[in-house]
Amino acid sequence: MHTEAIDPPGVQWLRVSPKYVTVRLVEWAIGNVFMVAILSLPLIFVLLGWWLWPPLWLAITVPAVMLVLALWRLLLIPRQVRAIGYAERDDDLLIRRGIFFQRTMVVPYGRMQYVDVAVGPVERGLGLCTLKLHTASAGTNAHLPGLPAEEGARLREQLSARGEARLAGL
Amino acid sequence: MSPADSAAVSPPAATVDGDWKRVHPASPFVRGWVALAAVGFFFGRDAFERMLQGRDFLDPNLNGRVPWLLAGGAVVLLLTVGGFILSWYFTRYQVAEGYVRVNTGFLFKQQRQARLDRVQAIDIVQPLLARIFGLAELKFEVADAGESAVRLAYLPLHQAKQLRATILARAAGVVSGPETIEEIPEAPEHVVLAVPPGRLIGALLLSEQTVGILLGAAVVVTTSVLLENNAIFLALIPGILGIGAAYWSSFNKGYNFTAAISPDGIRLRYGLLDTQAQTVPPGRIQALMVTQPPLWRVFGWYRMHVNVAGYGVSASSEGAARTMLLPVGLKSDVMRMMSLVLPDPGVGDPERVFTAGLEGLAPAGPQSSAGDGFVTTPRRARLLAPLGWRRNGFFATRTALVIRSGRWWRTLVLVPHQRTQSMALQQGPLARRFGVADLVLHTTAGPVSPRVFQAGVEQAVELFDQQSARAREARKRQTSEQWLAQVAPQAPEVAATVEAEQPQRPAQPVQPVQPVQPVQPVQPQTSPQEDRHNG
Repeated sequence: MHTEAIDPPGVQWLRVSPKYVTVRLVEWAIGNVFMVAILSLPLIFVLLGWWLWPPLWLAITVPAVMLVLALWRLLLIPRQVRAIGYAERDDDLLIRRGIFFQRTMVVPYGRMQYVDVAVGPVERGLGLCTLKLHTASAGTNAHLPGLPAEEGARLREQLSARGEARLAGL
Repeated sequence: MSPADSAAVSPPAATVDGDWKRVHPASPFVRGWVALAAVGFFFGRDAFERMLQGRDFLDPNLNGRVPWLLAGGAVVLLLTVGGFILSWYFTRYQVAEGYVRVNTGFLFKQQRQARLDRVQAIDIVQPLLARIFGLAELKFEVADAGESAVRLAYLPLHQAKQLRATILARAAGVVSGPETIEEIPEAPEHVVLAVPPGRLIGALLLSEQTVGILLGAAVVVTTSVLLENNAIFLALIPGILGIGAAYWSSFNKGYNFTAAISPDGIRLRYGLLDTQAQTVPPGRIQALMVTQPPLWRVFGWYRMHVNVAGYGVSASSEGAARTMLLPVGLKSDVMRMMSLVLPDPGVGDPERVFTAGLEGLAPAGPQSSAGDGFVTTPRRARLLAPLGWRRNGFFATRTALVIRSGRWWRTLVLVPHQRTQSMALQQGPLARRFGVADLVLHTTAGPVSPRVFQAGVEQAVELFDQQSARAREARKRQTSEQWLAQVAPQAPEVAATVEAEQPQRPAQPVQPVQPVQPVQPVQPQTSPQEDRHNG
């Protein structure tokens, strides 16, 4: 996997499971299909002649724009999933995500207050889980989705053990 | 099982019953006077109005119902007062064994204990009514960024101060023996600066708030002239009242602001009607921000905010006041507060660095640096930040990261290395086009959110890497929660004052009160409490 310009040099990224794309697809479908369907209702009503107000061009444009945006987001999903990466270093965990808006984050093991492993219904079906790290800062929005369940459990144990060894106060 | 363990797991009431104390008996009435006033108003208004009008005390038409009404009023009053007394009786607190414990409630009981060495800040608050009665509320903050962990309302003022001194002394590791509260003297303090009321009023009048109000007023006047409609002014009355209240609250909170340093930490006092005294132990400040609104530049004024883990983020004016380290001050005041917050700036000439951080500007020409040490946004990104690119910059000392930004709203943020929680490098498509990236440092909740804006990619990545290493090193150096060991060597004059004025309270924890311990077994009678200490 290639690394981007803002990644620290010499880091070997581990990638999340490709099956996570399915989870994102389901989320996408729930969100966007519903949205486009609702926005299409005025168009149907106008076509049926029940409604007079929204002119036809507006009734067509709004759902069409939403549909294009939704499709654009759909196309981005596989790339976004491939862009999620993490790396365990000696003293901290690196997490990166994003292609367009990139973020590379470092969470020192000694700063972790607790580690969560969360599993949603779709993730459970695919044997995936989401790992969340919490520090004393609310700004640490460090979650690592789409990990295989055994990798998530291993990481959780590993992080807890390392956190204990390097425990620091606030 | 070690003695400390047994103290932690056994029910506190059973082991150290003797030390439990209650808050002042008048406190529920001071706290709940609104309820009493409401009851009195509800039942007394009618009779009072009659008396004013010179008629009978009671409504003659109500004769049959009067006893019931009176009885109802009495029952409500009794229930309220009874509830107050019960809540007072069942609220007990204790400071012992490195914990502060508070038991409250009689139907739903709550026992809470907090470790003393986890204290992030201690506040003594005196609302106006409590102040009249000489009472004070003590707030004990730990790092959960929410409600105060322990609130004792109300104690007599001297007792609250005594308790604060005890908690801080024990948390600092100065006193470790099982003495009672009364034996610990309050740490001496040295006033560092005070804000004169005139400057506070001037600062309020020149704040952003005023600029906004003037703009709003101009818009309103213009519209009313254009529409030839005067009724629009009527709609302004609530707004004017609100603005007045906001100014009053800022003035009330900032009045008589005094900052002092003591071995217990930085002590801030302020307030006109409600007074507040905050104590933030050394090393508890997670991040610091100095800002200067554009109009303040005329007088060279600055204000300072801090992130303290216990204070959290709060929208109320009280919460905003608690995170204020300096409502308004000159540059010399800012420098003095900086030296309190960061006793070791980790750089040879802190004055020059902080001045560059407050006022510095990189040269507009193609040369890369102003020579003040700050790494600024590269010239290639000047279209992305046409105003700020010469200001946005960072400077890493041995102990802290100094971040400056803002051309008009000048801002300087300071984060000690060992306080960084985590970090993130962020880059959007536009920033990538210009070869810059933002570095966000995560700290505890509060008004300061440190961010290095638009640093060149190479510098940002380098800083990201170095900063992780620096934070790691700083954390290794600082291991103890008991702060006196870390602070005393860096503040020799403070340590000296302590030693001079309080010979029984050593500044170095190397020689604490431990030698007293072996004397105890001589006592023939040993209570379970003493057993735990010796065994």
